Amino acid sequence: MIIPRTIRRFQERRIHKSGLWADNFEPYAGDEVVSLDCETTSLDVKQAEILSIGAVRIKGRKVMTSDRLDLRLKPPLSLSAESIKVHKIRATDLADGLELNEALGQLLKFIGNRPLLGYYVNYDIRVIDKFLRPLFGFGLPNKAIELSHVYHDIIKWKHVGGDVDLRFDTIASKLDIPIIQRHTALGDAITVALMYVRLKHGESPSAH
Amino acid sequence: MSDTFKMDNIPFSLLDPAEQALVNASLDLGYYQRGERVISAGEAPEGVYVILKGRVRESEPEGEEEDRHVFVHYQNEDYFGGWSALRGRAIHDFIAEEETICHILPTRVLLELIQSNALFADYFQQNLAAKSEIVAQHGESQDMAEFMLAHIGSALVREPLVVEQGCSIRQATRLMRERKADCVLVRKGGRYGMVTGTDLLDALVMRELPLEQDVAEIASYRLVTADPDDYLFNALIMMTQQQIERVVIMRGQQLQGVVELTDVLSHFSSHSHVIGLRVERANSIEQLREAARGLNDLIKALVSTGVKIRFTMDLLAAMNGRLIAKLFDLVIPSDMQPHVCLIVMGSEGRGEQIMKTDQDNALIFRDGLAWSAMQETLNRFSEMLISFGFPPCPGNIMVSNPQWVNSVGDWTQKLSDWADTCEGVAQMNLAIAVDAKPVAGNQALFKVARNWFLRHLRNNDVFFSHFARASIEFDTPLTFFGNLKDKSQLDIKKGGIFPIVHGVRTLALEQRILVTNTFKRIEALIEAGLLRELEGKELAEALSLFIQLRLRQQMRRMESSPEGVDPTPNTLDLQLLNKMERDLLRDALQIVKSFKKHLVLRYHLGE
Repeated sequence: MIIPRTIRRFQERRIHKSGLWADNFEPYAGDEVVSLDCETTSLDVKQAEILSIGAVRIKGRKVMTSDRLDLRLKPPLSLSAESIKVHKIRATDLADGLELNEALGQLLKFIGNRPLLGYYVNYDIRVIDKFLRPLFGFGLPNKAIELSHVYHDIIKWKHVGGDVDLRFDTIASKLDIPIIQRHTALGDAITVALMYVRLKHGESPSAH
Repeated sequence: MSDTFKMDNIPFSLLDPAEQALVNASLDLGYYQRGERVISAGEAPEGVYVILKGRVRESEPEGEEEDRHVFVHYQNEDYFGGWSALRGRAIHDFIAEEETICHILPTRVLLELIQSNALFADYFQQNLAAKSEIVAQHGESQDMAEFMLAHIGSALVREPLVVEQGCSIRQATRLMRERKADCVLVRKGGRYGMVTGTDLLDALVMRELPLEQDVAEIASYRLVTADPDDYLFNALIMMTQQQIERVVIMRGQQLQGVVELTDVLSHFSSHSHVIGLRVERANSIEQLREAARGLNDLIKALVSTGVKIRFTMDLLAAMNGRLIAKLFDLVIPSDMQPHVCLIVMGSEGRGEQIMKTDQDNALIFRDGLAWSAMQETLNRFSEMLISFGFPPCPGNIMVSNPQWVNSVGDWTQKLSDWADTCEGVAQMNLAIAVDAKPVAGNQALFKVARNWFLRHLRNNDVFFSHFARASIEFDTPLTFFGNLKDKSQLDIKKGGIFPIVHGVRTLALEQRILVTNTFKRIEALIEAGLLRELEGKELAEALSLFIQLRLRQQMRRMESSPEGVDPTPNTLDLQLLNKMERDLLRDALQIVKSFKKHLVLRYHLGE
């Protein structure tokens, strides 16, 4: 049965309020955000397997790269030639990777109840949820912040007519942010974090 | 982050792979808007900033935004804030001129790297000196760092004596005797247990076990372990808390060795805090001598870890002063102490002595004091100081020489006699004596004599003209075109140090400035308006460069000579300097040259 996400979250919060991960379900009151990115084998949530997870904490206008999460997982069976071309991650690169269970535990600990930031972050959350549910019994309860929405909200006032170009590289170049290690989970997470800090604290970028 | 932070750039390329990994793991990213202050003057910066993208200017903190003096612009891959981080406080504003993203390396890590890598420390400090950022005071952080940031490392770890299960008490004892070890590790299966001398005694005497007993049965297997990268300080705390004397060092599952309490304590004992404490607590000459010995190690440690030369001088001046005062306390009968005053003179009086080169001291006593055993006691005092490692003064300027033991009246008479004679020895004695500083006894006696003498000199232009002449006696070793004159060696004392010290001394004497330290005299002269601020700062900087270069070569010569003495303490070998040091030296000598011109004009020394 398909239960709407909001209802399911409500239900999960009730069940896990006193569990091991209770802290993750608390509403968040601080000023920190965690930028998250996963590299996966496919862009289809149903088929996707996680290859690596990168996350970094943002505090105010600082990206705390000294406190980061860079997890590589055991190679999934479905590691295909196609995805290898995108991520340049081969099965041998993952030979000493973590078990999924272990990786997700570390991730939950790292993010806590902070809001999650990402570029198309819902995709990452759904992929993580897909594996999290059978192992831990719940999906990520955290609030999500979508970078392209933040960007869109700021830029749309300057943009008359037409669609806003929301491609990753376009946003980065508009914001004049250097792209750090494109196509590694941690690199993308840091780039997104920088873009977010820039949008939140800098002057708004020009439309052209 | 590895691919945006360029490790290949100096000074980070000087680090070894482990240190680079530490840098990599400690970096944060900061984002700053145009016009935003990255570091504000007067605040403690978070660390060193390395620009990933953007532009930052360093400027004066005061005045209108537009007409502030901008010292320097930093751009991509430049770093800034290091000096401020080390000092604990910034003196200039650092402002983003455009949107800027910086890597931030926390001060804690910076200190750690400076501690562990002398080359890195050197580069950092020299480069900063070249940027003429040197300012008067310093924080206490350097001193603390030396104490807190030592790693367990490999130096203190002793190789363990390991035996297999089944080794008898007899064999183990024999092995310990042979290897001069006082504990043995027993491997039982995959585990290690420890047997100490006390355990063996207990087993044989108290439990009356046979000598053939397996040591594995008397070993204790609850070992307290530490990682070699852990701080030594933590190991000490562990030992104190658990009341044990040994900590086993393991890297992961790999046994590395044993660190003993005595080794840890003796490591800390060469540190300034502990030496200071030991000096204060000494009740006998013996204990004091022991503490004095630690001072030499401290000098070496401070110099080799690249602690800035002025910190070292201040620290040592304070330590030497306390040491001498304590000895005075122990040797001079307490009923006589209020009637005499011990003064140190020359470089010691200025607080600029680093290596103990000689002792220049004198005694002033109250007019009409009757103390028959005085000279005898003072002879003993001088001997003690010599046994503490202060070499006797070649000019015999010591309290064991009756010429330097005077009543207040005689002393003032001597000073004015010297001032009236223009002959070499008298002038030299006077130069030494005006740097005097009281270290023990009744300081009022010294002050009376000094104040009288300063009044006596007022408006005596002839005297000052004579006195100042010595500072221009030696040529500055620069060619007509301003390059270094000699291609191999130069006497840095004649060429650089003496002209500054003596010139500043003359100016200070004329202004009746009471401090004796050359750097402090320069500051006071700036305040009195006799030196322009820039001029004064340059002089101070030049002087500390000369002293630092000289010290480095002194240490090298002392280490290579079999007796541990340096036959030519003032020689500077230019071949041993790198390009940058030579450039700095040349600039510093230029500063000396223009200072001498200033003196010639002021005191009408027309050549």
